[in-house]
Parts: sequence; C-alpha cells; structure tokens
Amino acid sequence: MLATAQADISPFPLLKIDAGVSFNLFQNIGLGAAGFGLGAVILRSSGLTFRLAGQHQQWNDWNAGENRWLLAMEAGPLYGFDAGAGLVRRVPVFGDEYRSPLVWSSGAAEWNFLYRLRWKFIQRENWWLRAGLSSYDRFTAHNPQQLPIEADGAYRLKDNLELVGLVSSAIVGLSGGLASFHEIEFDIGVRRAF
Amino acid sequence: MLSRSSRPQASSFKLRASIRGLRFAVCGFWLVFCACEWDFWAIATRPTVEDRVRENLSGEPPAHGPVSVNPDSFRFAVFGDPQIGHDYRSSLARFTQETADRHIDFFCALGDLTNDATPDEVDSIKAQLDRVGIPYYATIGNHDLFQTDGWQRFKENYGPSCYPVVIANRIKLIFLDTADGTLGPTQFDWFESELQDSRFTKVVLTHFPVFDGDRPIMWRLASDAERVKVQSLLERYEVFAWCAGHIHGLRHTQVDSVHYLTCGAMAPGTLDYGNPGYLLFTFANDSLSWQFVELN
Repeated sequence: MLATAQADISPFPLLKIDAGVSFNLFQNIGLGAAGFGLGAVILRSSGLTFRLAGQHQQWNDWNAGENRWLLAMEAGPLYGFDAGAGLVRRVPVFGDEYRSPLVWSSGAAEWNFLYRLRWKFIQRENWWLRAGLSSYDRFTAHNPQQLPIEADGAYRLKDNLELVGLVSSAIVGLSGGLASFHEIEFDIGVRRAF
Repeated sequence: MLSRSSRPQASSFKLRASIRGLRFAVCGFWLVFCACEWDFWAIATRPTVEDRVRENLSGEPPAHGPVSVNPDSFRFAVFGDPQIGHDYRSSLARFTQETADRHIDFFCALGDLTNDATPDEVDSIKAQLDRVGIPYYATIGNHDLFQTDGWQRFKENYGPSCYPVVIANRIKLIFLDTADGTLGPTQFDWFESELQDSRFTKVVLTHFPVFDGDRPIMWRLASDAERVKVQSLLERYEVFAWCAGHIHGLRHTQVDSVHYLTCGAMAPGTLDYGNPGYLLFTFANDSLSWQFVELN
C-alpha cells in the first residue's frame, strides 16, 4: 500500500512543474517512488505540452530499483479528452546501488512506448468523472505487456478542496487473442489548490 | 462555439455513438465466442497460479526425480512450444534423431505443448515426447492451461508445474509455472528459497521470458515489479540462465553473468524468428555452456 504526496506548480503560464513522493507501508517498507516533471506548453489553445520527467522507484526488500526518463507530448483537455504519447527509458538497478536515482546505465535497460487517452465524460459543478487508458503517471511507466485502464473522479468538498479517487487495472496480453486482468488498485485522497 | 442550449444535444450524440459502439463490441465478442471451441466458463474458473503452486508444493502430484547421467560430462536439450494442433505435426521426429547424434541425456519442454489441449492433442504430444526415447521434464504454458481441464490434463501427464531437479550434484534446474504470465507470491517465496542453495550451477526453466533486450517484444512477464524482482534475484544468486519459451525462436541477451534465453521452438509452420531448433547445454570440465541447434 502506498501513501503519496504530490504537488503541481505553474510558476509561469507556459511552464508546469510536478513532483511527488510515495512510501510503501506494508511490503518493501520505506520510500517507494519519487517523480519530478517539467512541462513546456507549446500551444495554449489545445494544451499541447512537451513533458520531460524523471522517476525513481525502489523495492527495499529485494535490493532493486528502477530509474526512468520519460519524454512525452501531451494535449488537452479538449472536448473532455486528453492524450499523450512518448517514450520511456527504464534502467533497472540491482544490488547496493538500488537506492540511487543517479544510476543511468544497466545491461537490463530498455525503451518502451508511452500512451494516454482519457475522456472526462461527466463534468458537473461539484464533481466530474473520467475514464481511459494511461500507461504512465507521476510514479509509474507500465511495460508494454499491460494495457492499463483507469477511471478517476473528483468531488469538491470546499472551494479549494477536492476529494479525488482512482480505480485502475490493466488488461494483460498473454498471447495472440488471450488476455487477463491485472490486479485492481484503488487510490483515494484529497487535493487542495493554493 | 456551442451555445448553452446546444450542449445537451452534443451530449446525447456522444451517448448514441457509445451505445452503437457497445453493440458492435458485444456482437464481435459473441462471434468470437461462437467460432471458438473453448469453454470460457471453465477457463475463467481455472486454478490460479497460487492454487497450482500450493498444489505442487503439497507434494501432489509428486515431484520428478533426477535422471542418471555421467556426473563429469552430460548434455541436455531445452525447447519450447511444440504446440501441436489438429494435425498433430511437430518437429519432434527430427529432434529424436538429434538426441542420438549429439548424445543428449535428457531434455526439457517449456510449455505450450499443445495448441488447444484437447484430449487428442494431449495424448498425441505425450506419445511424441515419449517416443524421443530419453528422459524429459516439462512445465506448463498458457496454451496448455487456458483450456477446459487444462491444468488437470497437464498434471496427469507430466506432474507438477514448478519443481527443482538436481542433476548429478552439479546443476540445479528450477522449473517455474508462468502459464498465467505471472509467478505470484507463493511461488516467489519458494523460488527464492530454491535459489539460496549455492552448491550448484542454477538454470531456471519456464514458459514466459522476463527480459528481451533493449527494445523488447511484447510477450513477457507482465508485472513491472515481478520482473524487477526476478532480475534482482537472478543476479544476487548468480543464476546461469533464465530459459523461456512462448516466443517462437531464439532470443539471447546477457546481463552481467545471467543469460536470458528464449530457447527456440518445435512449433510447426512459420516461427517468430528463424527456424525450429533447441538449446543444447553441455556440462563438462566443471562448467556449463550452451549453443543453439537449428533443425534444418
């Protein structure tokens, strides 16, 4: 189980900064993941944004970690849709250096594609719901065996305070025409705007 | 730009489009279901990897014993995916000749023994494997499992799907059940306990690949966390090789001292890569080596 803290800052209209840190509470106890991203808005009307992000994830019980660079072009929301596509370089780190976010070479490194397509299909004054596919987020870049699906939403509790929730899973491709579902994850939290 | 009054119309259009799409999807799935001979209820309620591993570790079905070989020099072959279908064709007849020519002591078949695991296919592949005439070990693949009574038929013919075998007190073969594309927590714990024995050269044999180079193809263990954990264990316990089937052809990458191999396939017809073939492991002079043998 994870506990996370996340922040989104926009110091200038054309610059987005996001950061987050997560902790594992029961398995692999301690720091779980950290992520930092920079987004440059190229076209404000469509929300077209070039995003560069770094992620570090670690599994303390296994002496294993993974560092990732993500490059993505994102667009939206436009008519309720937002989309993204890009590449991730994932660098697994095993042994003594697994905690280091600075290790960027490994024989087990690989390139994977990133993609995102989500639709905010209900937008009301105090709440909204969205569903779609997303192979990456602030802490994660899924591998190509998974087709991650998710539904999230928010409910405004006060002027600047929202209750947010997410349920996600993945369709896992096993072979041509054969797939199964990955485990289902639930996230719940609050978001405050300053 | 939409006026306020036109917004509900736009919403209702989206709803109609969604329902039409849903109808197409339902019809499509129904056609696929009708076209297949599969019993989807039986497949959906199949034993999970946790169920199968617990059954294996309980001693039922009983584990395989070691084969008898010359402890100073022996050879074994590894291949995946004979995947025989309705016509019962495979490359095993050619492989049978190889076992005599190359003095192979035993072989390992890494799942997808049949395409649909029908009783006739199961009987045919069992007869073909027996006809090779040397001892062998097998583990289960997704094509063997995702069928009516798939697990039942596999264990009746081949025994457990995850088990260790020590050959001549020299090498330890660890067979894993990855037919679901996952190991699961119980098998992970058991796997790590098996790896801790440092007396032997260790080779892992299973159906799903775990690593496939810098630009990997799609069909590997699906969980990010499981893959990282597997690779960290292989490195920590100095495993010689992770040998997998599933992908029809030879693939090889090496990370530090660990060889990641998809070992070639005995499947009939066109393969994903190259021609049918197998891995030939040779133990001699206290060391283990491998080569790929193509069946021309």
